[in-house]
Amino acid sequence: MAHAATHDHHDDHHGAPKNFFVRWCMSTNHKDIGTLYLVFSLLMFFIGGSFAMVIRAELFKPGLQLVQPYFFNEMTTMHALVMIFGAVMPAFVGLGNWMIPLMIGAPDMALPRMNNLSFWILPFAFALLLSTLFLPGGGPAGGWTMYPPLSLQGDSVAYVVFAVHLMGISSIMGAINIIATILNMRAPGMDLLKMPVFVWSWLITAFLLIAVMPVLAGAVTMLLTDAYFGTSFFNAAGGGDPVLFQHIFWFFGHPEVYIMILPAFGLVSEIIPTFARKPIFGYKAMVYAIASIAFLSFIVWAHHMFAVGLPLGGEIFFMYATMLIAVPTGVKVFNWVSTMWGGSMTFETPMLFAVAFVILFTIGGFSGLMLALAPADFQYHDSYFVVAHFHYVLVTGAIFAIIGGTYYWLPKWTGHMYSEFWGKVHFWNSVIWVNVLFFPQHFLGLAGMPRRIPDYNVAFANFNMISSIGGFLFGAAQLIFLGVIVHAVWFSKKKAADRVWEGAKGLEWTVPSPAPYHTFELPPVIHDDELAHGHVED
Amino acid sequence: MTQQHLDSIKEARRKGVKRTALVVGAIAFAIFLLSIYQALRVR
Repeated sequence: MAHAATHDHHDDHHGAPKNFFVRWCMSTNHKDIGTLYLVFSLLMFFIGGSFAMVIRAELFKPGLQLVQPYFFNEMTTMHALVMIFGAVMPAFVGLGNWMIPLMIGAPDMALPRMNNLSFWILPFAFALLLSTLFLPGGGPAGGWTMYPPLSLQGDSVAYVVFAVHLMGISSIMGAINIIATILNMRAPGMDLLKMPVFVWSWLITAFLLIAVMPVLAGAVTMLLTDAYFGTSFFNAAGGGDPVLFQHIFWFFGHPEVYIMILPAFGLVSEIIPTFARKPIFGYKAMVYAIASIAFLSFIVWAHHMFAVGLPLGGEIFFMYATMLIAVPTGVKVFNWVSTMWGGSMTFETPMLFAVAFVILFTIGGFSGLMLALAPADFQYHDSYFVVAHFHYVLVTGAIFAIIGGTYYWLPKWTGHMYSEFWGKVHFWNSVIWVNVLFFPQHFLGLAGMPRRIPDYNVAFANFNMISSIGGFLFGAAQLIFLGVIVHAVWFSKKKAADRVWEGAKGLEWTVPSPAPYHTFELPPVIHDDELAHGHVED
Repeated sequence: MTQQHLDSIKEARRKGVKRTALVVGAIAFAIFLLSIYQALRVR
C-alpha cells in the first residue's frame, strides 16, 4: 500500500478547474461533489436547527407565546423533513463520495456525471419545499409522515410531493452510483471482506435506499392522485383506506431509520480502532451485523402503528421481530467496547464523539426496546417519550457520528489541522446540552405530554423549560463547529501529515494531505497488514 | 503494471459499472411500480 503514495505525484498534474462555476456546478470529481454535499448538509443543518429553536422557544413555557399553532405545526414538519432529507442523508452521501473511492483505491465514483446530477437536484428540491412556507395557504403541517387525510388539507401537497420525488430520485441515483463504485471500482486485491467497515455500511445502506425510496415515491404519488386526480387510495369515503398509507409509508420509513444510522455505525467503526490503536474487534461479525439489521428493518415497520388497531397476531410478530434487532445491534456495541478494551486510547475530538455515540446511541436503543413492547407502546405512543427516543438515535447517534467523521477526515480534506482545543469545547458543550435537551423529554412523555403540540399543561412546565435551555445552548454550540471548520479550511497554519492520526490505517491515509484532486489513477498495491481491520481469516 | 493490464482493468470496470447500474436501476423502478400495483389490489 505504500506504493499508493508514489503514484500521487503523477495524479496532481491536472488539478481543479480555475473557473468557479465550472469547478463547482459542472464538477464530476468525487471530492468536489462530496464537498458540495457536505456544505449543503451543513446549511440544511442550520436551517432545520433554526426551526427547532422556534419549536423550543414556543415550548419554553405553557401558553401560546411566539407563534400560531399552524405555524408551529409547519415548524415540526419542516424540521423533520429538512433534517432527515437535507442534513443527515446528504451528509452521509458527502462522506461516502469523498471517502469511498479513497478507501477502495478507485480513481473516482463509477458514474461521475450522474453524481453531479444527484447533488444538483437537491438544492432545487429544498428550494421547492422551503418555498411553501411563503405560500398564502402555508407549508405542510401534517407531520413528516404525511398521513392522509390530514396532509391533504393544505395547499402545498403538490409542492411537497414533487420535492420528495426529487429527493428520492437524487437518493436512488446516489445509491446506484455507490453500489456500482463498490462492486466494480475496487483496486485489485481489495476483496469485499477486506473493505473498511464504512464502505461495507454504505454498500448495505445503498441497497436499502434502492429497496425503499421507490416505495416512498409510490406512496406520495398516490397522495398526489388522491389530492388532485380524484382517486381514493387513502380516502375511506371513496372505498380507500388511510391505514394503507401508514403501512406503505412505514415500509419505507423504518428502513429509512437504518439508512440514517448504518453509515454512522461504519464511521464509528473507523474512528474507534484508530484512536484505540487496535484493529476492529470482530470485523466479520460487524459486517454481518450490519447486514442482519438491514434485513430485519424490512419486517418491523408496523411497530410504528401498534395503536392503529392491528390484529393481535400482527402486534406479537412485529413486537418480537423488533426486539430481535437488539441482537445484531448488541453485537456491534460489544465489538466497539472490545475494540477499546486494552487499547492505547487517546481522546482526540473524533474519538470523543465516537465514544459519546456508543454510550448515547445505546440509551436511544434501550428506549427503542421499550417502545417495541406493544402493550407499553399504547402508553408511550405519540408522546414526548418517542421524541426523546428518536432524537437520541438521530442526534447523539447519526449526527454525532457525522461530526466525529468530519473531525476525523477534515485534516485529510483541507491539509490543515483543526483546533483541537475548540473541537473539545464543541464536544463538551454538545454532549452536555444535548442531554439537557432530550433526557427530560423521556419524563415528559411518560407523564403524558403529547408530541406536536404548541401548548401544554402547566404540570409539564419545568421539564420543558430545562429542555428548551438545553436546546438553545446545544444550538449555539454548533456555531463553534462552524467556526472550527472555517478556521481549518482558511486560517489554520498547522499542516496535516499524510497519515493524520498515529493509529490510522487504510488506503486514504497513503495519499497526501490535502488529498490531491485526482488519486489512484493507477490502482494501488494492497498489503493486508496495512488494512484498517488487520488480517481477516478466510 | 503494464498498459495492457491497466486497459483490461478499465474495460472490466466500464462493463461492470454499466451492468450494475442497469440492474439496480431496473430493480428500483420495478419496486416503484409494484408499490402502486399492490395498493391498487387492496380492497
